[in-house]
Amino acid sequence: MHNSDDLLFWEQQRGLIRSRKGGWIVGKGVYCHHYSLMDELIGRVSYVRVMVLNATGRLPGKRLGNWFEASLLCTSWPDARIWCNQIGAFGGTVRVSPAAATMAGTLAADSMAYGVQTIVQSQQFIQQALAARRGGQTIQEIVEAEFKRKLGKGYVTGYSRPIASGDLRLPAMERIRKRLGFAMQAHLRLAFKIGRYLDAHHGEQINTAGYLAAFLADRGYSTQEVYRIYASMVSSGVLACFADTDDRPAEAFLPLRCVDVQYTGKPRRVVPECVDEGGRS
Amino acid sequence: MKKSSHQERRRDDAFAERIANAICEEVAVEGNPYLAQASYCHGYDVLSLMDKLSFEEMVLLLLQGELPTPARRELLRQLMIVLATPGPRHPATRAAMSAGAGKSDPRHILPIALTIMGGDHLGAGEVANSMVFLRYHLGKDPRESLREQMRLQPKPQEGSDWVVAPGFGSCFAGVDPMAQQCAERLLVLPGAGKALRWGALFAQALAEQGLGWRMPGVAAACFLDLNISGMTPWVGGCLFQLLSAPGLLAHGLAYRLKPLNAYPFIRDDQYIIESDAQL
Repeated sequence: MHNSDDLLFWEQQRGLIRSRKGGWIVGKGVYCHHYSLMDELIGRVSYVRVMVLNATGRLPGKRLGNWFEASLLCTSWPDARIWCNQIGAFGGTVRVSPAAATMAGTLAADSMAYGVQTIVQSQQFIQQALAARRGGQTIQEIVEAEFKRKLGKGYVTGYSRPIASGDLRLPAMERIRKRLGFAMQAHLRLAFKIGRYLDAHHGEQINTAGYLAAFLADRGYSTQEVYRIYASMVSSGVLACFADTDDRPAEAFLPLRCVDVQYTGKPRRVVPECVDEGGRS
Repeated sequence: MKKSSHQERRRDDAFAERIANAICEEVAVEGNPYLAQASYCHGYDVLSLMDKLSFEEMVLLLLQGELPTPARRELLRQLMIVLATPGPRHPATRAAMSAGAGKSDPRHILPIALTIMGGDHLGAGEVANSMVFLRYHLGKDPRESLREQMRLQPKPQEGSDWVVAPGFGSCFAGVDPMAQQCAERLLVLPGAGKALRWGALFAQALAEQGLGWRMPGVAAACFLDLNISGMTPWVGGCLFQLLSAPGLLAHGLAYRLKPLNAYPFIRDDQYIIESDAQL
């Protein structure tokens, strides 16, 4: 027999929703973290700033909101070769809804190779790297420790990306940072130093994930908050690739001949009469 | 919090106080109402079903509330085998591969691929629409239905398949041999009924136009012939998604184990940016 005190927590939650976020009070208004959506946010604050408010509980100022806006423009564009975008394009070519295709592509970018997880991993790295640097480690020691942690695979998240090395988005984001008047702070300064070291010794350069992660670490955003803010960061490009194939005939996107798929499995065989414990016989 | 000036009144809609469910009954452990001592599916003790039912029987029990006849079970079993592997070229399979190769969280492979399998073209939408079409036309002369469909759905211009009715038409400008052979095999089973028989006559009439069964049509006819209560077109569409899951998952997971460059990435010279998209 269970003690009723053991169930107290669930009894207290039963039949209730507790929200730290806000909600709709019928007849009074809609509230996001105590801001009235209709009176204090709409028309005054951008969509991106409210999204960051919903993700973190803190409303970024207009200047930082502009930076977030620019960063999100950097994280998605309409190229149907990118894995998440390609999924959106497959959705268009078989006539799923815009919402379904955008969701499927967005879900794909929850990836350790590209997309939001690379920003999160980059932030974890640069935070640990700054602590190690302040503890007296050299950049070479920090990089080698990270290589070792990655089982000798020779990459550091935030300094390698599929398809290309280097990143055209960085000069644009640096221009935006300076124009908005954000000073270079410790994480970003170290991120660039590590980038220069990796470029000189391993041919890899800092990429957008590494840059955004360091900038946001300097502004006090946690990895959990960054994961939430950038959760749907690829949706714009996915939607574009969906729209492109949805506007064309069905299955016009990358049709394949049977021989276009290489078979590397077992040779053809017949189904056996019986199957015993040890397998087919 | 600032009060909105706009007038808003709550409506008096009545909502159920509790969730209702006719599928599963759980019996609580004495002393802990949050734990189930036993679970019953449409009245059957779930644990006692473990060594008695096949998976297809369990699926039908869940959907219709009764165990299927051997004929219906066999019809679904054979359909399940063919639907389980949509093939490596289906866009849903390739979405699974793209997710696997792109190192998406493996838990997302199936939701991604099943979402793409939800389309109106070769997916759940076409299955559901085909069930609507078949239900409406079952009592009619297939040749008359064909004439009517050809008026409603004339042959499109080049560059597109002619889906003269949902589940029926061309695939890559030809008749899909896999769908025809699959339909022929299912048609001779004791569980085959009016829908498969009517569909076969309709496909026969279509052959003169170079058209035939499409796989969603075969699935739609089988789902109708399962003749279970509650088998609405959208139940059939969703079942089609569910049954395609094993093949989608297998292809996605296989790519998850390969390096990123094991999946083709279209070369720059093969990626054409058309005029209205140029900078």
